Amino acid sequence: MKLALTVNGERHDVDVPPNTTLLSVLRDDLGLTGTRYGCGRGQCGACYVIADSRAVASCLLTADQATRMEITTVEGLAEGSRLHPVQQAFVDEDAMQCGYCTSGMVISAAALLGRDPRPDEISIRDALAGNLCRCGVYGRAIRAVLKVASPS
Amino acid sequence: MWDRHDPERLEQRIRVERDGSITALSGKIEFGQGIRTAFAQIVADELDIPIERVNVVLGDTDQVPFDFGTFGSHSVVQETPLLRKAAAFARHLLLDRASAKLGLPAEKLDTEAGAIVGGGKRVPYAELLDSEPLAGTIPDWVALMPADRRKYAGRPMPRLEARDIVTGRATFVADVRLSGMARGAMVRPPTRGAKLRSLDDSAARTMPGVIAVVRQGDVVGVVAERDEQARAAAGAVVAEWHVVPVEGPTAEVPMRSDADVDEKFRAAPVRLAQTYVLPPIASAPIGPSAAVADIRAGGATMYVGTQRPFGVREQVAKTVGLPEKKVRVLPQITSGTYGRNSAADAAVEAAILSKGSGRPVLLQWTREEEFAWSPSRPEAVLEISAGLDAAGRIAAWRYDEHTNVHTAAGLDPQVLTVTSGRNAVPPYTGFPARVTLHIEPTRLRTANFRSLAAAENVFAIESFMDELASLSEQDPLAFRLRHIDDDRFRRVVERVAERSRWHERPGGRRGRGIACTVYHDTYVAQVAEVEVSLSGAVRLVKVWCVVDPGQTLNPEGVRNQIEGGIQQSASWTLREELLHRDGRVINTGWDTYPIATFRDAPESIDVLVAGDEAAPPTGVGEPGAVPTAAAIANAVYAASGARLRSVPLTRERVRKAMAV
Repeated sequence: MKLALTVNGERHDVDVPPNTTLLSVLRDDLGLTGTRYGCGRGQCGACYVIADSRAVASCLLTADQATRMEITTVEGLAEGSRLHPVQQAFVDEDAMQCGYCTSGMVISAAALLGRDPRPDEISIRDALAGNLCRCGVYGRAIRAVLKVASPS
Repeated sequence: MWDRHDPERLEQRIRVERDGSITALSGKIEFGQGIRTAFAQIVADELDIPIERVNVVLGDTDQVPFDFGTFGSHSVVQETPLLRKAAAFARHLLLDRASAKLGLPAEKLDTEAGAIVGGGKRVPYAELLDSEPLAGTIPDWVALMPADRRKYAGRPMPRLEARDIVTGRATFVADVRLSGMARGAMVRPPTRGAKLRSLDDSAARTMPGVIAVVRQGDVVGVVAERDEQARAAAGAVVAEWHVVPVEGPTAEVPMRSDADVDEKFRAAPVRLAQTYVLPPIASAPIGPSAAVADIRAGGATMYVGTQRPFGVREQVAKTVGLPEKKVRVLPQITSGTYGRNSAADAAVEAAILSKGSGRPVLLQWTREEEFAWSPSRPEAVLEISAGLDAAGRIAAWRYDEHTNVHTAAGLDPQVLTVTSGRNAVPPYTGFPARVTLHIEPTRLRTANFRSLAAAENVFAIESFMDELASLSEQDPLAFRLRHIDDDRFRRVVERVAERSRWHERPGGRRGRGIACTVYHDTYVAQVAEVEVSLSGAVRLVKVWCVVDPGQTLNPEGVRNQIEGGIQQSASWTLREELLHRDGRVINTGWDTYPIATFRDAPESIDVLVAGDEAAPPTGVGEPGAVPTAAAIANAVYAASGARLRSVPLTRERVRKAMAV
């Protein structure tokens, strides 16, 4: 089926089989591979994108449903060469190891800060609770988001 | 071997490129432990060049010297001196060439930011290549850059890949896109080792997007234009299997057998025997296994996540019938896999699918496949008995480790001792000991896992040390110190006690536990603080850790690795258990195999990197994870009186132990 999606502020026309997931379209049709497959069931957060200002699992949305939303992927957060404050904070705090889950974490944190610019630590933990990390950088990621939330 | 490079040759290690940048080559692999950055730091220092102009190539089998694999956190240990010497030798040769070119003695010349300077002249490295590339056997005598001229090594530094990772640009294996690339999906047997009896692919072949149904031996898969099409068609393949039970090996390895152990045990006035139990657990990487294979008649290119690029080359060459030198393996950034990437499963499968379909193929396992078909950490039952003398010192120690095989490397007793038997011998001194490793058969597929058996053995040993201290009314810290005669070991234990203010006990439902070990010459000590609820729920509140990994190149990288090891180990300890029956894994999703989340992360993990700068660097990828289970279990005891000898420390288990 022919669909028109708005991703990172740009319109994209694709022709994909019915029920194709947004994740699959992003990765396989639009070349936006920063959004990652982790479980296909919305349980790990690796595929999160911002859909109309909320962080959602792109593996659970069909591309058809996504046509009615504004989608932002991890590739769409930076402005030119200027990183989104959350991205910069993750770099500064070395809040990553293998980096596979990082896109999803950055998306969740950006969505959180979009609706609440000054979240406390509990809100940060809650907002990122859907993002699993096996390397164990939770503490650093919390510090990175706190740094953006309360710049010293 | 006929096509293996000699690692001692400069041209296999360092290249000065035509644009003056430096390429450093290593067979080691990056998977989040920061070795690309560490290698760039030492090469930039020795060649006196800004780090942005150093490009580190890891694991490309067409370019790098042969390497057995990246294991045991030893990349920095083995590779650092070699790369450092190679870079220093390259600088030496560049100085010689500049000397000839300028007609000035080499002693009058120096290096600065990628150029030779002296006599009022400045010659960039690139201008010294006109005759021929730098080459030669790396000598032992080459002088290294003095420490006060090193700009990068030893200083905290963000990972070189950090920017690509946060912007999503980093290319993980499953992000590789080749022209004409198709997608694969496997048809799985009911259990591993099953033989294919019959195959009906008539329905699958007519489904949308299907390019081929491929069979090689007992391996069956589908290749289609899109991922969902490949999966749908794989589900439509009707295969009948003949199940053949596969069982792991059996072995018994005496690891230590001192005289008089039994006599001293029997004569001891105080004796204690306990058994500790750990279930199998999963590596559970966030990114499931993936590989891209491009197999053609004339040669093959493999894009993989692996710890053993040359091992993958050998396996793929054998699988598709090409000579090894016709197979190029290009390791990509990969999801952390904590040991699991020793196996080349996805690479071999992708190669079969590519060969059978004539297309480059990306195969990415599903989450369920990752849990079901990956090798797991074996279960372990550890039996310890020891006697204390009248002064409260250990008089005899007897230890029997029962576990399954931890590696596919065979049953050589020496191999088993350092894999399945890792850290079974206690790090304490002053008593005779007998330590025996018993490898028991299992149908579960078990293999390399972060720290091999060390995490299991140290859980048992350090829990038991606490029990001995408690039985003889000694402080757990003081009791350990009485049995330590290695100064570096003593120092980390004393320092973690200072930092955590060990002697100030938290009140209420909180308690603290200590545990320590020596893991491959890395000294590590931890204190954990937990809160135990009335109903037995354990919350990890804080962890303090002091680590001595010898000379330290990137302290921030070390801290990150140690913190991550502690966080992962806390998850193993408090939550994880892989269920299996007849070799089949039962819990194959995050809902049935939950791991620690952001909500479970402790308030703080305080890591002090106190490396002995006079000692050679040792690994940090694994040691952080090793003492955590015992530190937590000992803290639970201190908080609630519940002594847990089985992990995970579930609410029900803790509550039951409290009620006694």
